[in-house]
Amino acid sequence: MENNINGRQLLQAVNEASFYMQDLQLYLDTHPNDMTAIGMFKEAAKQYKACKEAFECACYPLNAESSRDEECWDWLRGAWPPQKL
Amino acid sequence: MFIFEKRTQIPVRINNKNPKLAGIILSQYGGPDGELSASLRYLSQRFSMPDNMGIGLLTDIGTEELAHLEIIGSIVSQLTCGEGAKSFDRYGVGDYYVDHSNAVYPQSAAGAPFTAAYLQSKGDPIADLTEDLAAEQKARATYDNILRLSDDPDVNNVIRFLREREVVHFQRFGELLNIYQSKIQRT
Repeated sequence: MENNINGRQLLQAVNEASFYMQDLQLYLDTHPNDMTAIGMFKEAAKQYKACKEAFECACYPLNAESSRDEECWDWLRGAWPPQKL
Repeated sequence: MFIFEKRTQIPVRINNKNPKLAGIILSQYGGPDGELSASLRYLSQRFSMPDNMGIGLLTDIGTEELAHLEIIGSIVSQLTCGEGAKSFDRYGVGDYYVDHSNAVYPQSAAGAPFTAAYLQSKGDPIADLTEDLAAEQKARATYDNILRLSDDPDVNNVIRFLREREVVHFQRFGELLNIYQSKIQRT
């Protein structure tokens, strides 16, 4: 249960960083010369990668390529939508 | 190409069961102004956009709509998970149960199966983007209607997020349409 609560917090950090990045991405599509937004996007992308890595180390892979267990196919582990973490 | 990430865009954690509400929300899965309709519309129209700005924006919004399709499917699934025939019948949705039991099927709230007739791909960026603006407003209005019909806070929090995204997409499509229209005026 404690693991789940920690996992939820780590996943929430991934969701927030990813959402921030994605929203900037759409904005930049129609404002490609906004240098401030480009800087913000790069920061957001770094943040997202760090949060994703932290979640995957503590919980389970979010992409198949992040699979790290050498003994079993751990890609199948974790909460697949619509399962709740 | 597309890469799947094993999470929904925002968490879906519905505590109560309600097959009737599931049947209403299902309209945003396979209904006329739903997320399947939206993603197919943009991901098809992008092939005939005139430049990378158009192709990119339609690809990115179309991809986000697929993430929303997954969110709606998750809500519907959680609202009906473990409910039996009797429960569906009591909630007045026995007719859904007889064809699909606890499965998620792309149809409107009134039971019309998904059809590509809900969308157009015209090969004319002004026509396509004008349709896209309307599509975002229709989706926003559908979410407003869902919020009028639902009093489940777990559901409504997610629906409010999706509603807000329609407003952002409308804004971005409007910007692209303006850019294309001013290009035409200059020529």
